[in-house]
Amino acid sequence: MVKISSILGLNARSKLFSYPYNPVRGKKIANSKLRTKRILKKVDIPVPDTYARFKHPRDLINFDWDSLPSSFALKPNKGLGGEGIIVVKKKSKDGDGWITTSRKKVTIEDLELHILDILEGAYSMQNAADIAFFEEYVGRHKSFKKYAFRGTPDVRIIVFNKVPIMAMLRLPTKESGGRANLHQGAIAVGIDIATGITTKALWKGDYIPYKPGTKRKLHGIKIPNWTKILKMAVRCQEATGLGYLGADIVLHPEKGPMILEINFLPGLQIQIANQTGLRKRLERVEDLKVRDADHGVLIAKSIFAGSFADRVRAEEGVRTLNIFEEVKIKGADGKKLTIPAKIDTGAWRSSMDKTLAQDLGLLEEKNVLWQKTVWSSIGRQKRPIINVTFWLKGKKIKTSAGVADRSKLRRPLIIGRRDIAGFLVNPIKGEK
Amino acid sequence: MSFIAAAALSFAVATNIFAQGPLPTGTASFSAELEAEPSPSPRPDLTQPTEETIGPLEKLLEEQELGPVWPTNPIKYAIKGAVDAGVPPNTIVLLLLLPVVATAIASARHLLGIRGFGIFLPAALSIVFVATGPILGIVLFLVIVVISTAVRMALRRFKIKLQYLPKMALLLWFVVMGVLGVLFTTPIVQHPDLTNVSIFPVLVLVLLAEDFSRIQSGKSAKTAINLATETLILSLASYVLLTLKTMQEFALLNPEILLLTIIVIDYLVGKYVGLRFIELWRFRKLISD
Repeated sequence: MVKISSILGLNARSKLFSYPYNPVRGKKIANSKLRTKRILKKVDIPVPDTYARFKHPRDLINFDWDSLPSSFALKPNKGLGGEGIIVVKKKSKDGDGWITTSRKKVTIEDLELHILDILEGAYSMQNAADIAFFEEYVGRHKSFKKYAFRGTPDVRIIVFNKVPIMAMLRLPTKESGGRANLHQGAIAVGIDIATGITTKALWKGDYIPYKPGTKRKLHGIKIPNWTKILKMAVRCQEATGLGYLGADIVLHPEKGPMILEINFLPGLQIQIANQTGLRKRLERVEDLKVRDADHGVLIAKSIFAGSFADRVRAEEGVRTLNIFEEVKIKGADGKKLTIPAKIDTGAWRSSMDKTLAQDLGLLEEKNVLWQKTVWSSIGRQKRPIINVTFWLKGKKIKTSAGVADRSKLRRPLIIGRRDIAGFLVNPIKGEK
Repeated sequence: MSFIAAAALSFAVATNIFAQGPLPTGTASFSAELEAEPSPSPRPDLTQPTEETIGPLEKLLEEQELGPVWPTNPIKYAIKGAVDAGVPPNTIVLLLLLPVVATAIASARHLLGIRGFGIFLPAALSIVFVATGPILGIVLFLVIVVISTAVRMALRRFKIKLQYLPKMALLLWFVVMGVLGVLFTTPIVQHPDLTNVSIFPVLVLVLLAEDFSRIQSGKSAKTAINLATETLILSLASYVLLTLKTMQEFALLNPEILLLTIIVIDYLVGKYVGLRFIELWRFRKLISD
């Protein structure tokens, strides 16, 4: 439940924030993608490389098409809403063209025509003459591969008074044709500012739990380099002089986060994806004296954290184990089996039940490290020590474990001190 | 044969209006229809200065008892003087109501969230509706929107690249053909709205085509259709406002109050930063959760 007065509408967006806080110079920068990139590059904010620019049809005559790499994006400098962008991923097999992200073939001739269209202003406001440019192709970062359809997802962050206010992840879908624009059918996913973990997904005006057509959860995705991304968005504000802006950030698979473009009238849909009103947040930071990007990010993380953020942060720092935990063990065939385990700080090495080890195929000769002789209450025994890989609270642990007959015990696996470094153990049974 | 007759007819109407233009009776083309609006009878001849249709508003003016000129009655006296000198009261009413319409359109955007093509277009369109009658007005509007959109799309589809002004001239050519096509249906339809249409409102409509296509550019077909629909709704509402009898009488008899109220409303609407009505729907998921 959000109060009506907390929501930012079109009237308030222009009258209270965009108009008073955004000077003409900043708007001019934001309106031109090339100029944005130039200004940001000067202050060492990463942006995709520009390969070539076309200001005039004659620039096409001597253009060396072989100078282009096999993947690139062709964009209009002043394009609106992602229109007029062609992204090619690779050269076509017959060698006389490229394949776009939507799997269509384009030839040099097609691209030339498209460039001429752009120069004529087919994609700019009021058909004003425009510049076309080739840009580095930014592929999908591995953390988004499963969630986005073909195109590159981006992160939109609204920044005001050097404080990141709200963020969302935009995932291209089949309907959006691989584009990350919401009105073309991309998915908007709210992001918790404190942790960079996605919260709720919005698609075509409805909340959805999974990626359409799959059972892939859209909440709980952790955006990598989150703090870096937030700082980068704030630094865009310092560079452009825009007091209220939306920064679009893509994650380059190798080079990390980059600014794609800046928007001085960012959309309001982000509020629905985050289930929070923007206006209240903006008013809360309006009068703060914010020193720099670090300070602003710190403020944002402390005052805009989601309700689950503390839990996540505590878990992120030092995760806590209960006495009884479930672990996933990798069998010899690569399959994972979930079994109950006991955390035993009195044991050094982990120990596994013989039958279980047998079932998992871990007692095969090549997996047995050595035989250890142990003395216990029932006399001298030989116990095999085996290689084990298991996941405890999501942490992958590769270790060795002893094998014993634990068939009379409730837990077929004991995890010893050796394997729980970096965890805290809560000794009180059953307390969550 | 009938085509030529129809063309000749419309031409005759046009020349007639132009001939009458400079005379005070020329403005009667608006006033006559303004009056005729509520009655279902066919529109009176545009060019005829019909005393009985101008009558009621003039009579109202006559009957109004006025106090001293200052401070509350200066405009009333001015209106009276002008009407006595022969200015049709309908012209004055329309002029007085124009700021009202503009305010209504501005409020529709900022309070309700209906956008339309800016402010000039819906306002001009509503005046056109007053002059031609709403049905013909809508038909002509749609013809023009459809033709200008189709021509733009065809030009892009067949990759015909033209400079802006020649492109607009070509667009106008098609639009005029479309409007002529509508007029050429007169022999079949035989509707008085159609036979009595004057060149002025049609001209305004045709010239609006440029604005349509300029606003349309860079927007998807869906947005363009939405905008056209919203424009139509706005201009129809404005048309109702313009032809509302009580509204006309109020404007004529209390121009000072009307004009001052409009200033205040304009100011308040300009300062409004709350949600628009349509945004309550847009953000319903936020509000109701």
